[in-house]
Amino acid sequence: MDIKVRKTIGQVLFILLAFYLDGLMKWAFLNNMNRGVIVILPQIMLMAIVMLTMRIDNRRQLMTYGIVFGLIYDSYYYGIVGLYTILLPLIMVGIDHFKFLLVKNNMGYELSIYFLSLTFLQSGIYLLERLLQQTNTSVFDFITYTLGPTLLWNVVVFFILYIPLANLSEWLVKYRRDSK
Amino acid sequence: MQKFFSNKKLIILMVLIIVTFGLLAVTVNIRDKKSTPPVIQQVGNDVVSVVGGVFAYPTNAVKNATSEFSDLYSTYSENKRLKARIGELAQNQAKLEVVQDENQKLKQELKLNGTLTDYSTVNASVLSRSPSSWQSYLTINRGQTSGIKKNMPVMSGKGLIGRIVEVDKISSKVELISTDNELNDKFASEIIGSNNKSITGVVSRYDSASGDLVMENVNSTKDIKKGQSVITSGLGGLTPRGLYIGKVYGIKKDNYGMTNSVYITPAAELRNFTVVTVIKSSVSGEK
Repeated sequence: MDIKVRKTIGQVLFILLAFYLDGLMKWAFLNNMNRGVIVILPQIMLMAIVMLTMRIDNRRQLMTYGIVFGLIYDSYYYGIVGLYTILLPLIMVGIDHFKFLLVKNNMGYELSIYFLSLTFLQSGIYLLERLLQQTNTSVFDFITYTLGPTLLWNVVVFFILYIPLANLSEWLVKYRRDSK
Repeated sequence: MQKFFSNKKLIILMVLIIVTFGLLAVTVNIRDKKSTPPVIQQVGNDVVSVVGGVFAYPTNAVKNATSEFSDLYSTYSENKRLKARIGELAQNQAKLEVVQDENQKLKQELKLNGTLTDYSTVNASVLSRSPSSWQSYLTINRGQTSGIKKNMPVMSGKGLIGRIVEVDKISSKVELISTDNELNDKFASEIIGSNNKSITGVVSRYDSASGDLVMENVNSTKDIKKGQSVITSGLGGLTPRGLYIGKVYGIKKDNYGMTNSVYITPAAELRNFTVVTVIKSSVSGEK
């Protein structure tokens, strides 16, 4: 099989695995249903997406990933289509657009980009859901009980998983031209 | 005219905003009004849930193992307490069988086919929970093919945990009772009084700070005592009578001193379970 196709399949599997991990993490470890003021939302798929976006240069491919996985995420987890479907491609194009500013990939850059995109994503979801009256949480409650803990947890996890994830996504994207 | 459409970025932005709100509005409407989502979405969700089952199986095994481990700590004291209850339980069970048998015969005599207390059950295992703050959904691995319909109540081992909100072909979503979505978290319920007088009301919200369910529109609070059982009353919708919700914790007046709300400690521990039971009522009430 063509090396390019194989790498693409690898990328898709990588994102898909992260997609399932989101739901399972929430279910198995962060499942505060009885007493829960603080809400932590694992966003491992966004981690994978940010990692890949930093390394893939083909914008059309990025848009396709964003829309397809956004649709699946919305339909499977949220039951409302239009949150991730729009926000995920926007984030990916945004990262792609400002990627040239970054001289080289290192942990600090990627962490801050992940932090920014997570904040953008969660705030966007909050605004859209608030607009459509899916929630009546106030802005302050959202920042204190959802956004804050979510950012903290995910940044810590990003910190722990950075090296394996970065190496894996590097390997999934880069291939030698002559072996094509 | 040419100048009007010359700014490509603005047009893209415009289209994007229209598409976003269009998609959101349409899907929210479908979720609230129709009994099933569109076929494409159903098939998509089913495919994702089938693959998800592969990952959910080991996760549930780990979850079960850890909860067994934490149960081990309290085994000794629990065992003592349970031994005291066992004799009582056996007696109750014998009594229940006799009464059930009698009830069956009397129903036949009266030619009553189904009453509010009759229901059948479907067991399902949980595949995942939505990583979302306001959609507290569980995905379970049973759907239309098992006869599940929208709005059916769902129990875990001990008590009521929520209600079906979306049904696909072989998977469905359960909205937990602890949600703050105002459309879906209401259950007609009653408190079993001591002198055979039941007090009815509506479990209508969840107090996330204390972890209690709040029952409102109570007809009288005179006879309510702490520790009384709260069950579903079977009035309206697809919920049968007699599903256990929890125990009365206390009564509070609202800020104006006008209405009373009864606070209920939910029986279902909404943490340690991997299997849920969907309740299919034999009598379908108004939709």
